[in-house]
Amino acid sequence: MEPLRRTAPVWTKAPCRLCGVGCGLLIGIEDGRALAVKGDPEAPVGRGFACVKGYHSVRALDGPGRIARALVRRNGALVPIPLGEALDLVARRLGEAVRAHGKDSVALYGSAQWTIPDAYVASKLFKGALGTNNVDSSSRLHAGSAMAGLESSFGLDGAIGGYEDIDHADLFVLWDANLAETDPVLFSRMLERRRRNPAVQIIDLATRTTRTSYGASQSIIFTPHTALAIANAIAHEIVARRWTHREFVDRHVAFKSGRTDFPFGDDLVLEDPVDVAWDDYVDLLAAYSPDRAERLSDVPAATIRRLASLYADRSRRVMSVWGPSLNADARGTWVNNALYNLHLLVGKVGSPGDGPLCVTGQPNGGCAVHDAGSLAHTLPRGLVRSPDDRRRAAEIWGVPEERIDPKPGRPVLAMFRALDRGDVRFLWIQGTNPMLSLPHLDRFRRAARRPDRFIVVSEAYPTPTTAVADVVLPAAMWLEREGIYANMERRLQHFGRMVPPAGEAASDAWHMIEVARRLGFGDLFPWDPSRHVEQIWEEYRRFHADPASALPPLAALRGRAGVRWPLVEERETRYRYSTARDPAADPARGAFDFYGHPDHRAWIWLRPHRPPAESPDDAYPLWLVTGSVLEHWGGGAMTRRIPTLHRGLPNGYVEIHREDAAAQGIRDREPVRLVSRRGAIEAEARIDYRSQPPRGLVFVPSFDEAVPIHRLLGEAFCPLSGQPGRTCAVRLERVGTRGAG
Amino acid sequence: MIPDRRGALPAGLALGIVLAVAAVTAATAAVVAVKRESKRVDAGTLGSGTPVPALAPIASEAEVFRTPVAMLAIGDPATPRRNANPRTLHTYRIRRAYPGAPPRIPHGLTSEEFRTNTCNNCHQRGGYSPRFGAYVPVTPHPELEACLQCHLGDDEVTGVVLPSHDPSTICRQCHDPDALQMAAARAWPSSAWPRLSRSVPGDPPPPIPHDLELRGNCVTCHAGPGAVAELRTDHPERANCRQCHVTQDAESGTFSRPSPSAEPPAGERP
Repeated sequence: MEPLRRTAPVWTKAPCRLCGVGCGLLIGIEDGRALAVKGDPEAPVGRGFACVKGYHSVRALDGPGRIARALVRRNGALVPIPLGEALDLVARRLGEAVRAHGKDSVALYGSAQWTIPDAYVASKLFKGALGTNNVDSSSRLHAGSAMAGLESSFGLDGAIGGYEDIDHADLFVLWDANLAETDPVLFSRMLERRRRNPAVQIIDLATRTTRTSYGASQSIIFTPHTALAIANAIAHEIVARRWTHREFVDRHVAFKSGRTDFPFGDDLVLEDPVDVAWDDYVDLLAAYSPDRAERLSDVPAATIRRLASLYADRSRRVMSVWGPSLNADARGTWVNNALYNLHLLVGKVGSPGDGPLCVTGQPNGGCAVHDAGSLAHTLPRGLVRSPDDRRRAAEIWGVPEERIDPKPGRPVLAMFRALDRGDVRFLWIQGTNPMLSLPHLDRFRRAARRPDRFIVVSEAYPTPTTAVADVVLPAAMWLEREGIYANMERRLQHFGRMVPPAGEAASDAWHMIEVARRLGFGDLFPWDPSRHVEQIWEEYRRFHADPASALPPLAALRGRAGVRWPLVEERETRYRYSTARDPAADPARGAFDFYGHPDHRAWIWLRPHRPPAESPDDAYPLWLVTGSVLEHWGGGAMTRRIPTLHRGLPNGYVEIHREDAAAQGIRDREPVRLVSRRGAIEAEARIDYRSQPPRGLVFVPSFDEAVPIHRLLGEAFCPLSGQPGRTCAVRLERVGTRGAG
Repeated sequence: MIPDRRGALPAGLALGIVLAVAAVTAATAAVVAVKRESKRVDAGTLGSGTPVPALAPIASEAEVFRTPVAMLAIGDPATPRRNANPRTLHTYRIRRAYPGAPPRIPHGLTSEEFRTNTCNNCHQRGGYSPRFGAYVPVTPHPELEACLQCHLGDDEVTGVVLPSHDPSTICRQCHDPDALQMAAARAWPSSAWPRLSRSVPGDPPPPIPHDLELRGNCVTCHAGPGAVAELRTDHPERANCRQCHVTQDAESGTFSRPSPSAEPPAGERP
C-alpha cells in the first residue's frame, strides 16, 4: 500500500510514552517525520520487543485535529490567536486571580506524562515563585496509593527491584493486574520465563477473567475490594504454620499501626505511626483465617492456604505484581502495605526474583514526577512540611525561605472541589484529561464551567478537557521536544527532539517559563529555548547530593538506553536496600538496610480489611469495574488518533456475564444503560467478549469519551494517598428492543 | 467465546442466516450457552499436591498460550523436517469455497472414520502422519467434535454447500447467534483473500487481516510443521500474538470526536 521508501530512515532511541513500562524503542526518522518504530535490541526494557501501542505510537504525532496553534474562547467557541497573545492572557489572568483572591486561588494540575523538567518547572513556578502548593498530578489519581504504600512500608517512593526480577522469579502472583493488556511486554517476559522453565507458575488473582487469565497457569476470581483480606489471610496462614522468616523479621522489620477510624476521603490524613509488636500483628491476623477470607472474597480457603505455602516456600522466588486496580481503593495504601507485609514476613524483598512490584500506568510514573515536587505535599526531593527541605529548595531556587508554604496544597479531588466552590479561580491543566478521568465527572464538568473561573489547558488534541478551556496552549509531544522520563522500575530514559513540533507547539516547561517571565519572575528561569532541558536538569540534580538519590548528568542519559536511578559512582541501583547491591545501603546492617526509615527497618503495618464506600445493594445490584484495554491508553486522546489502534477497538462497551444478561433479556451488542447514584452512560452490551466478568459484575473500559464511565464513580478516596476508587455499585437497564434482524 | 466476531461470518453462511434469523428459538440459544460454559480451567495445578477447586471459564484464545513450543518448531531435533506439509497457499485456498469458509477434507475417509468422527486423533495435536507422509494440519477448535458438520469430503463439495438440515440449528451450534445476526446485517466485508502483509524492517507488526471466529488459536495455522509455509510466523515462541497483532474493525475508519451530546453538560458560563 505504502510507496517504497527511497532512503533509509535514521534510527534514534526513545522510551515508549504509551504506558509506564517504558520500552526502549528505535524511532525511524526520515525527512523530518517520525515514520517507523522498532524495538531497541540494546534496551534492557523490552529487549527489542514492544506492543501494538508502541509499534504504532508515532502516528499519534500527526493525527487529525492536532492542536498546532493557541486557541482562546470567544463567544463560546475556541478560535486561534497568536501564541504570544495567549501567553500574555494566561499571565494576566493568573496574576489577577492571585491579587484578587489570594495565592491559593490558583492551581496547576499536571500528570506523570510530564517529563521531569516540566514537573520541576511547575513546582518551581507555583511553590517557589507564586508561593502556593496547589500543584498536583493525575499520578495521584492512578498511583497515589502506590507511592503512599512504598513511603509508609519502606520510607521511600520508587520500586525496590525491577523488571529483571521477572527473569529470576519462580512464581508470579498477579493481584488484579491484567498485564496481558496493560503491560504486555512485562507479561510476555513472564511467559518467556515460564517457557524456559516450565516449573514457573503464573497465578492470576483477579476480579474477572481476562486475557491474562488465559495465559496464566491458574486463574482465581475474587470479589472486588477483598484483596486486603486475602493478603491478611495468607499472612495468617504463614504465621500459624510458623513459616515466617524469623531471622529476617527480627533483624529488618518493625511493626506499626495507624489510625483506622477515618472516614472515606473528605481530607488527607497524615499518618502518625504507633510502635507495636509482633504479638499485636498476630492478634490482628487472628481475625483473618482463610475461612473468613473465603466468606469475604469468595476465594476458597484451600486456595489461600496453598498461596501461603507458595509464598513461604524457601526454594521459590516470588514476585507479586499489582497495579491501578488494587491501588484504586478507598483503602489503597493499606492494600499496598498488606502486600509488602507478605514479602517482609517471608524475607522475599530486594533480591533477584523476590520482588513486590507495583505497576503504574504513566510514562513518568517511576517516582520521578513525585520527586520533582509536583504533588501538593512535595518539594523536589522533599516535603513541604519539612523545614530542611524548604530551606534547601529556597536556596537552590533563589527565593526567600518563607515564600515556600509549609502547608500542603490541594490534592487532585480537593483541587477540583475547590474549583466547584470558587476557592480556586484559575486552573492550568497540562497534558491530562480530567474531564474524562475524574470520578463523579458531572460535578467537576459543571465546576469547570462555572462563571468567574479561568481554565487553561495545554494539550495536543481536542478532548473533553479542552472543551471547558478558556485558553488552549499547543503542547509539543514526545519526540517533538527533548525530555526525560522515569519508568516504574526507576529507569531514567532520555529522548531528544527528533521532529519539529506541530505549528507553534512547545513544551509545557517552556510555556510556564514564558508565563513566569511575564509575571516578573524571569530571573528564576534564566534558561534559553534550545538548551532549557539540560539547564533545568542540572539545577534539579542539585537536590540530589545524597547517594540514595544521585542523578546522572544529562550527557550520560543521552548516551545510554536508560539508567536505573540512583546512579552512585557509575553504579546503577538495581535492587534497593540489599547491602550487596544498593550503593546507598550500609553493609554494617546485615544483608539489608532499609534506610528509608530512620530506624533502618522496613515496616509491617497492621491493616484491617474494611468494606468499600459503596457495595452492590438492592437498588444497585452490580459491581462496576473500570479499566484499560490493550489498544488504548488513558482517555484515548492519542491512541484513538492512531488508525490501527482505533480500528482495533473503536468503541467502549459494557461486558456482562452471560447469565446476568439472560436474566434481563439482554443480547450481545444490544445498547444498554448503566446507572449509579451519580450518573448514567449508554453503550453496547458485550457477552463473552475479550474479558469475562463473573456474575454480578460488569466491566467498562475507560478510553472512550462517548462512554464517560467515570461519571458513575463516587468521590471516596484513600485518606492516606488521595487516590479515588475505580469501582462502584450500578444497575443495568435495557435501552430498547432490537428489530427482528 | 472468541472476541472480535464482528463481520465474522462467511458470506454463504450469512446468506443462509438471513433466511434463518426468523427461526431462532430459545432452544438453540440454550445449546450455545451450554457449550460456552463447558470449558473450565484445569484445576489442581496450583503448586504440587492438594488440588484446588475449578475456576472461571476460559476462552479458546487461552489455547494459544498453552500450545507446547515443541509443537511449533520446524526442523527441531524432536520433529525432523522431512517434507513438513505439502500444502501451499494455492492448495490452502482452493480447498475453501471463499475466504473464511471451512476447508473441505482433501483425503478420503475410511468408513470407520466417517462413522466415528475421529478427526481429532490427528488434527488436535498434529504431528507426522506416515499414512500421508506429511505433518498434519492442526485444528484451531478441537473442542468442536462434529467435524463433518462443516468440513465435507472431496466429492461432496462444489462451491458453497450449506448443510441440508435446518441451518438455524446447525450453524448455531458453533456460531454465536448474535454474531450470525451481525454477519447477516453486514455480510462478509470482502470476498478477496486477506493480503499477506509480511512486515519489513521499519513497518509495525501487521494487523490481523481476517476475523477470528473459531480461529482464536493463532499458532495452529501460523506455526509448526503442519502449517502452510507462507502462513508461518518466524517467531512462534512469542506466545502472546495479540500483544502486537490486533484485529481491525474495517468499518471504523478514523476516530472523530463524538457529537456535542457527549460533551460536558452545559454550565452557566457561555
